[in-house]
Amino acid sequence: MKKIALFAAVAIAASGAFAQDIPTLLKAADKYRMSSDNMQVETQISVFNTDGSPDKERRYTVFAQAKHQSLVLMQSPAERGQKVLMLGDDFWLLMPGSQRPLRITPMQKLLGDASTGDIATMSWAEDYGGSIAGEERCGEPEQACVHLSLNAARKGVTYQRIELWLGKARHEPVKADLYVQSDKLAKQARFVMDKTTAPTAVTAMLLRDQLTNKKETQVRYLNRKEHTVPEAWLNPMFLARNPALE
Amino acid sequence: MKRAAFCTPFCIAIAAAATACQAAPEFSGQVRPQWIDQQPNDAGPLAQAVAVQPGIAALPASGATLETELRASGHGLSFVGTLQQQRLEGDRLRSHAWVNELFGSADAGGWQFSAGKKIVGWDVGYGFRPNDVVEQETRRTLLSVTAEGRPLLMAEHFDASTAWSFVLVNPGKPRDQRGAEEPALAARVYQRDGAVDWHGFVRYGAHTGASVGAAAAWVASESVELHASLRMLARADTLASDAPAAALLRANPWQSASVSRPVQALVGGTWTNDAQVSLLAEAWWDGSALSDAQWDDWAARNRALASLLGTPAPSSAIAGNLAWQASAFGASTNLRRTNLFARLSWQHDKWQPALDVLYTPADRGRVVTGAIGWQGDRVRVDAGLRIYGGPSDALLAQLPARRIGFVAATWSF
Repeated sequence: MKKIALFAAVAIAASGAFAQDIPTLLKAADKYRMSSDNMQVETQISVFNTDGSPDKERRYTVFAQAKHQSLVLMQSPAERGQKVLMLGDDFWLLMPGSQRPLRITPMQKLLGDASTGDIATMSWAEDYGGSIAGEERCGEPEQACVHLSLNAARKGVTYQRIELWLGKARHEPVKADLYVQSDKLAKQARFVMDKTTAPTAVTAMLLRDQLTNKKETQVRYLNRKEHTVPEAWLNPMFLARNPALE
Repeated sequence: MKRAAFCTPFCIAIAAAATACQAAPEFSGQVRPQWIDQQPNDAGPLAQAVAVQPGIAALPASGATLETELRASGHGLSFVGTLQQQRLEGDRLRSHAWVNELFGSADAGGWQFSAGKKIVGWDVGYGFRPNDVVEQETRRTLLSVTAEGRPLLMAEHFDASTAWSFVLVNPGKPRDQRGAEEPALAARVYQRDGAVDWHGFVRYGAHTGASVGAAAAWVASESVELHASLRMLARADTLASDAPAAALLRANPWQSASVSRPVQALVGGTWTNDAQVSLLAEAWWDGSALSDAQWDDWAARNRALASLLGTPAPSSAIAGNLAWQASAFGASTNLRRTNLFARLSWQHDKWQPALDVLYTPADRGRVVTGAIGWQGDRVRVDAGLRIYGGPSDALLAQLPARRIGFVAATWSF
């Protein structure tokens, strides 16, 4: 009986210590995608059918800035000229034909194979809080992982709840289950690192759609560089400026 | 004079571009073959005129069109141009080319300057935009097309949440140019306030005078957006006729006129769920449209002219006068002052089906449009059908076309 009580006390103390570590763990994990608060990231989205055949491909330039601010420029022929601005919980879309910025709801943020949130949001520390669910083996090759249960700390995020597994030694993201507002599992994510030993950056995120078509989306980060955009670029009406910002 | 007026913004554009330092030039474009199938109406004044005297007026024709759009930008200059080749039934192949946009941009002292031909789209609505006072874009087109910009000089200032825009549009054009061609000064102030976007507008037209307006868009929840727009004008361009009901005239009685102190207003909202089903609903009032009394007089004259058939009155004169009655359809952006609009659409993978209805309560007229789009990596395919209907005396049921079908493929590069 004494042993059980001692074990429970240690477990409670340990979980308390882990809970204090959540922001630190998430900040450490974020560094693998956002090495700075203000970044310019060239991103390629490739969608594959369930049989592995290619379905579609898109290119984006993402200006991910501090304080939940992101500007996404669509670069593929089918979408060129479209722009999406995300300022915290507020979103705007510009279609090239009309040159008129249009206010959109969070639901209109393209909940498709790769939502704008998947592309533009590259940090968890500012958006999520939660607890450590435990330690598990995960990943390929299998390794010791910390399993975090995260809940959105603000509205406007694409996923309301995230089950996230980080490498225990370096806290790099390994995999995640992404849940939408209705608490349905929307997507399962796997993270591809630049190096298996001593990784420094996420090079790709593989998303498996669990809600509708079971397609797999590969989000590849082609190029990252530190870039702070001028304040005016984050004004919704500035979206109509041409040529394309830069 | 016209050439000089047209040239001025472009000269300034080139000068502005010369001082600008921008990224390497970018080129893109699209090629769009399309087929439009139009069924002429067998009701309405134009149909009656043609029935009396075939060939007196052109009826809507079906045909194929090839549009090539080219885009280039860099070094402070932007260009969008369109080349159109069209072959309509009973007509020869016709080619047209136009510049959608050609402007230069430059920054100085915290201000952004643009000069040239440019699309400047304002306001918050979908079916009708009272405060789109510069571009005055045609709404509810069958296919999404790039608008043709207006010659203008523009200065803008942006900070984190406020934007000021000042536009001199159509500089140098004759003062009596109508609608979107009218020379005018316009300004907009934008303020972001959390979940609400606020817009204020003023415009001073060379012959229509002043107008003021305001608009707001509010994201009320995860899935609901609400918007509203209001504009009050000193005067608006329209057409008016003072022809007696049964008189046969030698000239079109529908002449340029203006309506005093009209008000235009729109309210609407969008609801979208997580399956990407979206419902848009809007209602608007357009005080610049012809009044119910004017349309009653129009209908009475149509009946009176038709009753002259079989009398000694020359049939060609009757047909001509009936055909002129169709001019009233172009009096303003909206046929009726009160309009209701709903659009249901769904984004499902690569497919985008949509169904929309425009309804005019005054005469229970309606326009129903069903469309479906498919978007690939480089190719987009659109097809749809628009049907005009309602009771026989509804204006929308008397337009020149009864039904329009279309199919288009767009290849982007």
